[in-house]
Amino acid sequence: MKNKLSRFAVPYVVWMAIFVVAPILIMVLYAFSNGEGGATLSNFVQMGDYAAVFGRSFKLALIATAICLLIGYPVSYYLSREGASFQRTAMVLIMLPMWMNFLLRTYSWMTILENNGLLNQLFQKIGLIALYNQLTGSNLEYFSMINTQGAVVLGMVYNYLPFMILPIYSVIVKLDYSLLEAARDLGANNVTVFRKVILPLSLPGVLSGITMVFVPSVSTFAISRMLGGGTELLLGDLIERQFLGGAYNPQLGAAISLVMMIIVVICMLVMNRFGEGEEQAVML
Amino acid sequence: MRQRSANSAGNRLLMILTGLFLYAPIIILIVFSFNAGTSSSVWKGFSLHWYAQLFQNRLIMHSVYITLLVSLLATVIATIAGTFAAIGFYGMRRKARNGLLAVNNIPMMNADIVTGVSLCLLFVVFFNGWGAFAGWVNSWQSVIVLPERLTLGFGTLLIAHICFNIPYVILSVGPKLRQMDRNLVDAAQDLGCTWMQAFWKVIIPEIKPGIISGALTAFTMSIDDFIISYFTAGTSASTLAMTIYGMTKKRVSPEINAISTLLFVTVILLLALINIRENHIQSHSHHHHREAAVHTPAPRKKGGGMWKKVAAGGLACVLLAVLIFTGSAARSDRVVNVCSWGEYIDEDLITQFEEETGIRVNYQTAESNEALYSLIKMGGADFDVIVPSDYMIGRLIEEGMLAELDYSAIPNYDLIDDQYKGLSYDPENKYTVPYTWGTVGIIYNTTMVSEPITSWSAMFDEQYAGQVLMINNSRDALMAALCCLGYDINTTDEGQLEEAFQLICDAKEKGVYQAFVMDEIFGKMEGGNAAIAMYYAGDYLTMLDNNEDLAYVVPEEGSNWFVDAMCVLKSSQHQDEAAEWINFIAGTDANLANMDYIWYASPNAEALAEYPAYYEEEYGEPLDEEIYNIMAAPPEVLARCELYINLPQETLKFYNDLWTRLGI
Repeated sequence: MKNKLSRFAVPYVVWMAIFVVAPILIMVLYAFSNGEGGATLSNFVQMGDYAAVFGRSFKLALIATAICLLIGYPVSYYLSREGASFQRTAMVLIMLPMWMNFLLRTYSWMTILENNGLLNQLFQKIGLIALYNQLTGSNLEYFSMINTQGAVVLGMVYNYLPFMILPIYSVIVKLDYSLLEAARDLGANNVTVFRKVILPLSLPGVLSGITMVFVPSVSTFAISRMLGGGTELLLGDLIERQFLGGAYNPQLGAAISLVMMIIVVICMLVMNRFGEGEEQAVML
Repeated sequence: MRQRSANSAGNRLLMILTGLFLYAPIIILIVFSFNAGTSSSVWKGFSLHWYAQLFQNRLIMHSVYITLLVSLLATVIATIAGTFAAIGFYGMRRKARNGLLAVNNIPMMNADIVTGVSLCLLFVVFFNGWGAFAGWVNSWQSVIVLPERLTLGFGTLLIAHICFNIPYVILSVGPKLRQMDRNLVDAAQDLGCTWMQAFWKVIIPEIKPGIISGALTAFTMSIDDFIISYFTAGTSASTLAMTIYGMTKKRVSPEINAISTLLFVTVILLLALINIRENHIQSHSHHHHREAAVHTPAPRKKGGGMWKKVAAGGLACVLLAVLIFTGSAARSDRVVNVCSWGEYIDEDLITQFEEETGIRVNYQTAESNEALYSLIKMGGADFDVIVPSDYMIGRLIEEGMLAELDYSAIPNYDLIDDQYKGLSYDPENKYTVPYTWGTVGIIYNTTMVSEPITSWSAMFDEQYAGQVLMINNSRDALMAALCCLGYDINTTDEGQLEEAFQLICDAKEKGVYQAFVMDEIFGKMEGGNAAIAMYYAGDYLTMLDNNEDLAYVVPEEGSNWFVDAMCVLKSSQHQDEAAEWINFIAGTDANLANMDYIWYASPNAEALAEYPAYYEEEYGEPLDEEIYNIMAAPPEVLARCELYINLPQETLKFYNDLWTRLGI
């Protein structure tokens, strides 16, 4: 029976060779070639100029991931202790925003954060800005929130928080409660139970959540452009610009993509070492 | 049993706040879909206007159609292919399976942008290879004529979506297979089933929950995807996300809020139906599922009714797609693909042209000259007519990308003022028909600056820190700096360029710039979010309609005046239709309508002269002369302005380097 079944996979293996493996090989080829078809390393040399962009992208993505974890873990944990129908509804509610296009949600943040945006209008109305001016002796008409790195991080957290909550929740909710009871029976207090039982057991979910937030954050280009005002170039912007944007240079774009991919893969390998022996990362 | 409600009020509060955080922007979006005004931050009263408008908007309806179609097709194909692949993997030895699963995970683990870029490159390489092959085939036989130029489009978009959907299906079917009792198939066969029967009657029902949840995940991913589509769809198959992205650069039309609200409500209703049904089943069967699968409760018992609902929902989607399809399917064989800038045409002209000639117009927009160039180079588009600016036309001609026009098919060319013919970018008038012309200048908010602005130095002035919007385009930005320093705007002297670059850099360092923007300027200046910006005269007049405090000046140091002209790409398959379109647009009536709509001056002498009268007739009041002079700059202003000329390759590269350095 087994051999007969494995034949079903043949078309997909061919498909993967063409549409998964070949594109990456082509990307590698592009990265090592110049516009005229010769081989060169200059794309990588040139990339040195962009070290700051790499640094900024990874920094912002790390901050966003950390914030997602700080919010996402407690939320998933508390959620798992609610009633079953509450949990189901909450899960649907967390998934639901994905059906509203993320660009639109991000655009909505623009109208909230603008200098004359909804939030500043609100602050004005309740006198928060006046109060702040009195306290600090400054003369602000608004708080500048948009076009800052903070706004970009906010956009990342907002868009990818569900990707942190879902995997963590799906691991925690499957925890065997008799383990917790056993731990308590053996004299552990709540903190110890959490640290020694719940946390280690939920690690696979945490790791997969981190990956699912970090990877899209580090490579985003729409969010940084909309909320960052184009003053803080991120890796995604840099790559987009080489292909379909203002600076046509697909070779350089391929090289940057390649390096980014390698760094991300290394990060993930290192992380998976932490979770070694655990179940394979849980997706969605 | 687990403890119920073990949460304190504080814990609850955290959850509520998270919910609020997730939903605040969505609620705002929905609320503003009922706004009577166009703004997305100022409430002008309740109205269903945008919902009515929505169905008139061809661009949006078409992108909704593309989105639904590609998501449905990709989901169906990926679900079937993924299920078979998962079964195949299940039947393999562990080692082979793990290896293949690792490859399978690549699209999921990779950043979307890497997947998008690598697929884009694959398509480009394939297209190039195909071009050579088709050329060779066509050269030695004439029975079958193969198209030599392929471009990104619906096909590539579909492939990309299938590509990133299959892994999700495999991932949700795989575990169900592993949970299945391995003896079941043998038992079925022992009881007289053929292998095929066992497959359909035993394996498939066992893994059905996995298949369904995989399909739903795939569909969600497809609908929500933007980045991969962006790199693989070209411009002809814009998904809703891509259309929205195009709009976020200028102004998101509330129609988008309306369509999103409709889609959102549909999904909520569907999910509510499923959930009610599921609760019903649960309370009957006393069977508590602890599945984490969000959309899909595991339907062990009595699940049939619910699947009917899901099927009905799916069917409704299909019907909707078909409806839109038939709605937009007034198709004809004659097509012309036009690419221009955002809000750069009176859209009624498109309908008018279609009715007159029966030629269907695919109207698309690019962001900037440079982006247009990249798009064409990457094979991302199959445009016929493009409307680049002077210097880019020069570059396209130099690189042999434009087709020579047959002016006998464009009689309206004679109406174009001689002043706009034979300019430096096309000295012999072989390739272009001018579309509009205008000046670049400074737009400022009179309530936010202390004195009228007359000089480019305002763009670099610390006094306005955080209040200035710099243009996000190297040529124009450096032009401002060059003018400010008193250099020629077409200089190739790297020292002068470097100096100009330093001026911008210093200003950026000092925090003068609030942002680097292109069409985002509209919303930001109209909303009073910035004091000073540099942009085009015509667009200033559009903004003036929405904010009377704005003023425009062509700085005393001089500036750039530009001509945007229609040209036809060499690769165009629709040269005749392209000529008809160009002729139509060059006509006086079209120019008048366009001028009235976009406020850019027309090169058609008759139209330009007639415009004040046209305006008076249309609006019942005379046209302010000042406004007319801003639109069509008088000779004394033009005297201090200069056209861009196409720069040599090294200088272009230098511009590029400078600009990227600025972004770091």
